[in-house]
Amino acid sequence: MSEILGTLVFYAVTVVILGTALGVVLSKNLVHSALLMTACFIGIGVLFIWLNADFLGAMEFMLYSGGVAILVVMGIMLTKRQDGAPGNPFNVRSLPALALVVLFLAIMFLVIMNSVVPAGEFISPDTVNGLADMMLNTYILPFEIAATLLLAALLGAIILAKGDGKA
Amino acid sequence: MSIGLYHCLLLAAILFAIGLYGVLSKRNIIAILMGVELMLNAVNINFVAFNRYTPVSDLTGQLMTVFAITVGVAEVAIGIALAYRIYNDRQTINVDKLDNMKG
Repeated sequence: MSEILGTLVFYAVTVVILGTALGVVLSKNLVHSALLMTACFIGIGVLFIWLNADFLGAMEFMLYSGGVAILVVMGIMLTKRQDGAPGNPFNVRSLPALALVVLFLAIMFLVIMNSVVPAGEFISPDTVNGLADMMLNTYILPFEIAATLLLAALLGAIILAKGDGKA
Repeated sequence: MSIGLYHCLLLAAILFAIGLYGVLSKRNIIAILMGVELMLNAVNINFVAFNRYTPVSDLTGQLMTVFAITVGVAEVAIGIALAYRIYNDRQTINVDKLDNMKG
């Protein structure tokens, strides 16, 4: 019974993720795209929790459907040119892009269907403690590098948005 | 049929393809950044699914996802700042018109 429920939840989340992702790309209004992108991130967070990665699900909710969504909406509002809905048109190369995407999907389907992975599964009883332990012991150097990267991104974003020293 | 690794990989591949289509076919820089975010999330789904459905002993896949999310968020912040700067300098963020390398 619970397995049937899990399958149903997976397919529901899949429909939400793929439907909203398609909406992001095909929507004519850029603000609708941003809203659908937020819904897509919420779906991905639910999928992470479904995959027993509850800390990552919480991170996805906070960082992507919280932070990134607000950043994108602010970017849309700051770069709006005229009154009315900000448009989201296709460029001149949308047909070659579609061909490339179909080719990519065909290759990925072939690769996934023909690859053999070792069977097994791993469910961590406590992802927060496990992740914290690894992050501050084995992977301390990437952790510090990520901190430096965030500082550099912060300073870079401020300097880029501020202008060439005149503001 | 119970859900396994292949379902998650196919979902991530389709999501990546949708994001790739957005990146390649959109005219607005912000829309292109949204496509990049979709692709990043597809890769994160792959990491988490491999960590869940293969015989591993620790959470390395999820930890890589943490780092990938960090880099992705830094990337979108810089991208939005760049888009704002380009808009300030040239009054457009249409990539079809941004074909001039000499400012």
